[in-house]
Amino acid sequence: MAGMVKGQSGGFVMTPHKVSICILLQVYAPSGQLSVPYPFDSISQHNRLGLFLIALTKSCDDILEPTLDEFLKLLKEFGVLYNWLTDHVTGRLSSLSSPDDLFTFFSELRGILAGLETSIIDDDQINLDPNSNLGMYLRRCMLAFNTLSFEGTCHLLTNIKTYCKEVFSPYEMSHLDDASNDPEAPLEYENMDLENIVLQNFTEELESRKRSNERVPFHNHSSKALFSLVEDITVSPGQKVKRNHRSQMQTQPPSVESSDVRTNWQIQGYMSEQADMIEKLGSSFPMSAFESVLKLLQKVAPELHRVHFLRYLNSLYHDDYSAALENLSRYFDYSAGMEGSDFVPPLSCMNNGRYEIALLTLGMTHFHFGHPKLALKVLTEAVRVCQMHSDDTCLAYTLTAICNLLSEVGISNITGIMGASDSHVSTSMSVQQQLFLLLRRTLKRADSLKLKRLVASNQLALAKFDLKHVQRPLLSFGPKASIQLRTSPTNVCKKLRLSSQLIHQFDNESSVVTIDGALSTSWLKNQRKPTTTLVFPPESGPESNRDTFYSWLQSSSVPGSVLQLVGSSYLVSATSWELYGSASLAQSNALLFANCFADSSSSADLALAYGKLIQHLAVYKGYKEAFAALKIAEAKFLSVSKSGILPVKLQLLHERALHRGHLKLAQQICDELGVLASSVTGVDMEIKTEASLRRARTLLAANQFSEAASVAHSLFCKCYKFNMHVENATVLLFLAEIHKRSGNGVLGIPYALASLSFCESFNLDLLRAAATLTLAELWLLLGPRHAKRALNLIHSAFPIILGQGGLELQSRAHIAEAKCYLSDSSISVSEDPDIVVDSLRQACEGLEALEYHEMAAEAYYLMAIVLDKSGQMEQREEAAARFKQHITALENPIKPEDPLVNLL
Amino acid sequence: MGVNKQNCRNELRTAIQQLNDRCLYSASKWAAEQLVGIEQDPTKYPPSHTRLQRDSSSILRRFHCTDEITSTPIAGTSYVSTPVLEEDNGDVDSDLYVLAKSYFNCREYRRAAHVLSDQTGSKALFLKCYALYLAGEKRKEEETIELEGSLGESNTVNSEIVSIERDLAAVRKNGSIDSFGLYLYGLVLKAKGNENLARTILVESVNAYPWNWTAWLTLQSLCTTIDTLNGLKLHNHWMKDFFLASTYHELRMHNESLAKYDYLQSTFGSSNYIKAQIAKAQYSLRDFENVEVVFEELLRIDPYRIDDMDMYSNVLYAKECFSGLSYLAHQVFLTDKYRPESCCIIGNYYSLKGLHEKSVMYFKRALKLDKNYLSAWTLMGHEYVEMKNTPAAVDAYRRAVDINPCDYRAWYGLGQAYEMMGMPYYALHYFKKSVFLQPGDSRLWIAMAQCYERDEIRMHEEAIKCYRRAASCNDREAIALHRLAKLHSELGQNQEAAFYYKKDLERMEEEEREGPNMVEALLFLATYCRAQERYEEAEVYCTRLLDYNGPEKEKAKSLLQAVKLAQSGFP
Repeated sequence: MAGMVKGQSGGFVMTPHKVSICILLQVYAPSGQLSVPYPFDSISQHNRLGLFLIALTKSCDDILEPTLDEFLKLLKEFGVLYNWLTDHVTGRLSSLSSPDDLFTFFSELRGILAGLETSIIDDDQINLDPNSNLGMYLRRCMLAFNTLSFEGTCHLLTNIKTYCKEVFSPYEMSHLDDASNDPEAPLEYENMDLENIVLQNFTEELESRKRSNERVPFHNHSSKALFSLVEDITVSPGQKVKRNHRSQMQTQPPSVESSDVRTNWQIQGYMSEQADMIEKLGSSFPMSAFESVLKLLQKVAPELHRVHFLRYLNSLYHDDYSAALENLSRYFDYSAGMEGSDFVPPLSCMNNGRYEIALLTLGMTHFHFGHPKLALKVLTEAVRVCQMHSDDTCLAYTLTAICNLLSEVGISNITGIMGASDSHVSTSMSVQQQLFLLLRRTLKRADSLKLKRLVASNQLALAKFDLKHVQRPLLSFGPKASIQLRTSPTNVCKKLRLSSQLIHQFDNESSVVTIDGALSTSWLKNQRKPTTTLVFPPESGPESNRDTFYSWLQSSSVPGSVLQLVGSSYLVSATSWELYGSASLAQSNALLFANCFADSSSSADLALAYGKLIQHLAVYKGYKEAFAALKIAEAKFLSVSKSGILPVKLQLLHERALHRGHLKLAQQICDELGVLASSVTGVDMEIKTEASLRRARTLLAANQFSEAASVAHSLFCKCYKFNMHVENATVLLFLAEIHKRSGNGVLGIPYALASLSFCESFNLDLLRAAATLTLAELWLLLGPRHAKRALNLIHSAFPIILGQGGLELQSRAHIAEAKCYLSDSSISVSEDPDIVVDSLRQACEGLEALEYHEMAAEAYYLMAIVLDKSGQMEQREEAAARFKQHITALENPIKPEDPLVNLL
Repeated sequence: MGVNKQNCRNELRTAIQQLNDRCLYSASKWAAEQLVGIEQDPTKYPPSHTRLQRDSSSILRRFHCTDEITSTPIAGTSYVSTPVLEEDNGDVDSDLYVLAKSYFNCREYRRAAHVLSDQTGSKALFLKCYALYLAGEKRKEEETIELEGSLGESNTVNSEIVSIERDLAAVRKNGSIDSFGLYLYGLVLKAKGNENLARTILVESVNAYPWNWTAWLTLQSLCTTIDTLNGLKLHNHWMKDFFLASTYHELRMHNESLAKYDYLQSTFGSSNYIKAQIAKAQYSLRDFENVEVVFEELLRIDPYRIDDMDMYSNVLYAKECFSGLSYLAHQVFLTDKYRPESCCIIGNYYSLKGLHEKSVMYFKRALKLDKNYLSAWTLMGHEYVEMKNTPAAVDAYRRAVDINPCDYRAWYGLGQAYEMMGMPYYALHYFKKSVFLQPGDSRLWIAMAQCYERDEIRMHEEAIKCYRRAASCNDREAIALHRLAKLHSELGQNQEAAFYYKKDLERMEEEEREGPNMVEALLFLATYCRAQERYEEAEVYCTRLLDYNGPEKEKAKSLLQAVKLAQSGFP
């Protein structure tokens, strides 16, 4: 702690690079010269040097300064008078051979500043205004030099010597050899500068990953993001020229730069940037490379405790539990929670430390690793400590964390964990009610503390809650007539809107809160902001259009965390529309997210959005397009196996295998999905239910009804236990389906009705339509007497099915309709075949896109019958042939030369 | 006996000269100490020769009851005899060498190295490189202070290392390197972080020339696990026993270490070094009585000794011996006040006096002198805890732990600090660490159990488990049994409660302690036995209770009546 307090004063340190800038400054404004000084031919040349210098001085706070070699390259790109300037700079630098030379150099520099008292401004003379940009810079340099002790001057001198040496003997490879011989050994002290280590390790990691896993291709987007990470370190200021990074990395000789640590400010900036990067990229962040950088930093700056935090983050996202815990506790032991956290107002309580933040972080770590009970315990302690220290801000955050925990992890019973000490929830209520209360109180608290981000995220949490829960009145007495047991989509919508309002608040704010040194690097970043690659099929929108349209989103005035939050509100609304049954709105929200928030959101969220889009394609356009999209998406993620794309892929493959009748394959994929849902990496209830539902479906496809039913039953029980009612509607519908398939219509109807009522109270319109369709099919099973009733049901569901339903649902509806007509004795199909044939034809088209052999065969069979009745022999033959085709395909699931199979 | 004393003596005498010749002074100091430590035959030498050895027999008697047993199995091992080194004494070069050595003695290292720059003999080469190494170290220290910035930059390195390594690697390649060169090579490799090679080189060095104790110490610092230690291919020399004993201690295998030292004492009967080491091991085993005796002895023989005296001060502190501690502090202060040990002793003294600010000041001074001084960090943490400055305490403890992750005291201190801040659940993490490192220490288990018992978390089941562990490992203050009984009775597990109350009672009787715990135990047992209809036992407890005054007496009376009634009612 003591080190940090000291840190702010010694911000500006003289380095060889700054000395070379000063040399250029001297060239730019030699004292007492006329308007165009010696080496320049024209005023414009002179001005260009000025601009170049301004760019250089502005980037002086960057984390790493360029080596002399890079600096000379920059000069070359600058172009004008390259040779002369290079010679001058190197000559001047190498002429500095004793401390006294440095003294004279800096006293000469004093001469080029126009004195404040000389009011006579001679137009012909070039003097630097001491208050101008360059003048200020020069003064800072001089001040920094003057405060140096003699030892400091000596160090500067040796640094300049090493700085120069590198240019004159750039290929001193012996050190590199030495280091690469023994990978265990820390790198040579001699080339102990960050960039080389990053570069070396990074290329190594890159190459090795490439070699080891051909199936995980490196695609532009992800690698670009990663490269830009490197870029932040290597690319020199003011440079906009695109370079081929990889070749550069390989050819670059190890630069032997003096390894003095930059200012506190710069490193803090660098670190917060890296922290953002880790959080964004998650597990695809190059772990070992960064770890070695951090270790080096720690060695070099032992008082910089934030390094521990970054090490914690790094191990957290690479699932290294013990290392994460170790680094976490180390960080908080050293920093006492006072350093680096964004939301810490520098208030009183300085002597006590803010260890409650440690608890909060520890709780979230446990949550991340899938230990909800431990997490809850820790968070309760955090609540208590917050109350003890009356740290309202942290309390608000902690409560939010608890809410997240409760809503995301299925905990059936929290009594005994939360304990009686927590006054925020009384234990008599159900978990859901407690959660609801907690959410509302947290929101209120955050609102009163004016924590905008927290308010937004709480609103998001409330929206999620409203989406899946029916609100019952908390009091069980009084008149009950007005109670409507339904979820309210308008509430959800309202809350989502409110949470995305956040961005306007930040947009309007003129004062931007930047933490630590973020600003010092952002100047450069804006200079060379890469034109962001468009995330999804390029044909979906003209790039330039989008860029101008949403450029305000990317303006640096909106902090990344806010963007991320707003992005997730779009993601949630995509999910909500999915549930409410508006496919198009869901798709457009997901698309919006993928396009506008790809840069700011985490890779996990992005994967989720891609997954949604891909599934949408699969359901509405068939597998061919879905797999094409999947390929694109896979390419964007560094490691598919760890991202959210993998479950999507497995789901697609499973669906397809079921449709084509490859039951063995389906079973295999199901098992893989089950592995994903295993508790090793934390319990994800969603994948868990998904996996068992798919297992039941596979069993059903194999006509093992009782097994399928028992799996579904246990799934229902689980969902009921964890209050997952939306999932329950699906499970009930599936049970009805099982009975339908087994030909037991009477038993199926109650399930279908139950599912219907669930759908109604949760406003699941699309699912409701599907349930209605199933109900109709069940009625139809009971005999032709019920055909009319079934037909009515189908027609009532038609608007939604045709409007929003996927191909399979539509086809099923068409087939069911045709069946109704066929079994209805009052309608003679032979007279008016078109009412049936048309819908059957549509069904056939859809099913062929889905490669759903079984149902396609059924459709063609029906078609053939109808055509036979109406006497259209030729077409009948055709339909019969197609029927046969599908049947053989179903019965002999030949191992086709299917490229998709080896995707697994 | 495994070691021939006379051989030993001769070897050491030659070694001391050779080490001195190469300016390896601390190794030579150590060797000389051991040389004097070999017990003389009292009949042959007049008493003046044994001035430094007197009275050692009394300690020997104390600790050598097991001597026969431990020494017999090892006595059979045959030691390799390492030929004593032949000196290369070129006449012309030796003048230069002497000059270089004089420079070296005056701490003009670079000058010394320069004089030897053209010399090729292995002795000259060693001294040259060694001088350069020390020059680099000195410069490094200076630079560390010069460059000390806001972030505590410590990237200063010994700039000579690279060139020394290059030279030595070349010499090693052509095979003309001697054991001293190997030692230096190992040292340099360790500084560079190339630990595996360093280990191999150092093993080569000590096998070729075993009397260089600093080489052994460097090797020891590279053996952090028992597996690495066992993996070393060391020749069987008696120096290896010293090495093993010391390394066992570092690896917290105190009993093995003690056995080794006991064995060594048969030869080096009056070595102060061994005595101090034995004390160290006993200190780790918390055998304070013996430690104190040893140190009193040591101070009598060698009154100006500062090494290891900080441990003695810890013992005096634990025994709350004000005058002894102040005397010791005064002594070391007069001898050399700028030794980290001295500062630490003074810090301990002030801490005992309750002057925590002053104490912290001295610990800080100790740390300024040696920032890796483990126990000073921990002790400073204790002081901060006393001063209720928990964040500073946490910081100090954490530094101790980062220097040596096996320091269970610091882990315990961290736990304590967090518990003080009302974060018992967080503190448990640290208590677990400390218990893991020192599972035989009942105090740690009790601390952890008390943490589990805290109102905030109330994890009584876990607390019971911890108390049970504490009770099973020699709980001196006898807290565990009582707490166990109480917790069980609170949880309504009367049978277990009765069991532990009984045990506690037996123990109190044994140690002849009285007090409220006794009354509580008697009362519970009386009630319990009555409920179990074991009337006779109940009667015994009740009558015992009658000896005490207070409300319990009345209760006992009524209980007694009820028991009598029950007995008569159902014959």
